[in-house]
Amino acid sequence: MDQIGPTNSYWLACAPIHILVDYMTDLFIVKWILAFSPILTVLVLMIFKNWSGSRAGAAGWFVSLITATLVFGAHPELLAYSQMKGALLSLNVLYIIWAALLLYNVVNETGAIKVIGIGIQRFSGDKSIQIIILGWIFASFLQGVAGYGVPIAVVAPLLVGLGFSPVVAVAVPAIGHSWSVTFGSMGASFQALMAVSGLEASYLAPWSASLLGITTFLCGIFAVYVYGGWKMVKHSLIAILIVGTTMAGTQYALAVSGMWTLGGFGASLVGLGCGLAVAKLKIYNQTSPSQTNLEMGLWWALSAYLILIAIASSGVMIPSVKAFLGQVNLSFTFPEIVSLKGWVTKAGAGKGINLFGHGGALLIYASIISFFVYRSKGFYKPHALKAILQKTVQSGVPTSLGIVSMVCFAMIMDHCQMIYILAEGISRVFGSFYPLVSPWIGLLGAFMTGSNTNSNVVFGVLQQETAQMAGLSTALILAAQTTGGALGSMIAPAKILVGCSTVGLSGKEGPVLKVTLRYGLLITGIVGIITILASFIT
Amino acid sequence: MDNFLKKHSGRLKTTAFILMLVIPFLLYAAASYNSMLQVNLLLVLMGINMLYVMIWG
Repeated sequence: MDQIGPTNSYWLACAPIHILVDYMTDLFIVKWILAFSPILTVLVLMIFKNWSGSRAGAAGWFVSLITATLVFGAHPELLAYSQMKGALLSLNVLYIIWAALLLYNVVNETGAIKVIGIGIQRFSGDKSIQIIILGWIFASFLQGVAGYGVPIAVVAPLLVGLGFSPVVAVAVPAIGHSWSVTFGSMGASFQALMAVSGLEASYLAPWSASLLGITTFLCGIFAVYVYGGWKMVKHSLIAILIVGTTMAGTQYALAVSGMWTLGGFGASLVGLGCGLAVAKLKIYNQTSPSQTNLEMGLWWALSAYLILIAIASSGVMIPSVKAFLGQVNLSFTFPEIVSLKGWVTKAGAGKGINLFGHGGALLIYASIISFFVYRSKGFYKPHALKAILQKTVQSGVPTSLGIVSMVCFAMIMDHCQMIYILAEGISRVFGSFYPLVSPWIGLLGAFMTGSNTNSNVVFGVLQQETAQMAGLSTALILAAQTTGGALGSMIAPAKILVGCSTVGLSGKEGPVLKVTLRYGLLITGIVGIITILASFIT
Repeated sequence: MDNFLKKHSGRLKTTAFILMLVIPFLLYAAASYNSMLQVNLLLVLMGINMLYVMIWG
């Protein structure tokens, strides 16, 4: 493999600037603050200035470009390759997002979203049960079969249809599904953790499933709290305890028995049955369910999602189907890249795209079949296809601009040691209290890249090495890493953007991020405390 | 200028999005052939595109 490093002419031209900057950034804290500046830019612009995700992402891209070039030794070749990796990573996410938007518009154009909303109101008029079933259990189930923002994109419009405000409708599934991210999507994130650490599932699974099991309850509690405060949490506590115990227990059993690929899917499927049974309890039937007549049968309205479940399950779980769909892969190889400061990014293949077996492809198959099913039943008005495609493009473009710019600047940071410096700074400050902050590092990675898997890839080794140096349980620290990464899903702008685009909040993501950030940080803090307490007994 | 950008906002955003995904592929090709001039020009183009998104996106 070739090695890409600084060219002589570039080095000579930039030498005076680098000497000056080196002098100024001799202190680690200055370096850390500069490494943090792109993230800070995005947070400040989105939360305090109400900028859209796309504008803030582009601003963050500029800040990372400037700091990476002046301080962290980025050079043109490094920037070129990092942007390509960013584009590939973005395409993986955008494939799902555009396909999810397409499916949503295929369903919505028939009026089915409204029908599903009314259908659940007729099943249970209790708002807390509606949040628990849709925002916590159903969102987790969708994470189990699809992931990559689909739970938020699908559930948010359903909650708006039930009368919840758009901000609550996006925040609830964002918080509710986070616990199932690591073992969801057929355990992709857990697989990444095993790959980078070189450790077996049997060693990592017990602690990972335990910490994620605790977050199952926390996600349920805060999903309900976002809408109705402590009063509603108290009202729905029995349901949360029963459903939470069922889901956390099932996930633990599947993970430790070697079936970790089905951890998220199986747990939420069992949870769904349990949730529907709990909804029949007397205390949750004091509000009369809606008696509104439905414009179409509930099963017809749900048919698109049933088709999605059938296709996604067979595409992921049936080996012959999976192998058939996985024959065409788009991938690129990258040389070893060395920054001017000597930070080495190893050579290897970038994130490949499985063209026909990707989650996005499965969503497109479901969209096409659903479209023909609805059309054969006469649920569409004339020119429906044009309207579906127009609406998909209108909501997809602003969201995509934000995602690409954010992933691209995260890749610049990754190739210039900036993400590593952020993690190192946190571990230096906390020293022996490292277990307290290890989930925060996972959270940071997921926030930056919008993915638990990427967070585990970027920080897995760092966490493992730090745990070994400090004499801590590697399984515990890596469990905290992946739990933090899973929780990062609720605050990752890339995912918030997806949800906002489906409820008409494109360009107004700030208020949602403010809500999810508050509870995401709180739950991560609790996980940190549990991790440090657990470190005393391991 | 502002009127033009507002009038064609939808198309310009779509173009910016397509450029955001296409330019990295060109950067990859240019960097693979060690063509520094092209890499620098494409990085400037990427910067202009990001500037558009930051101001009008």
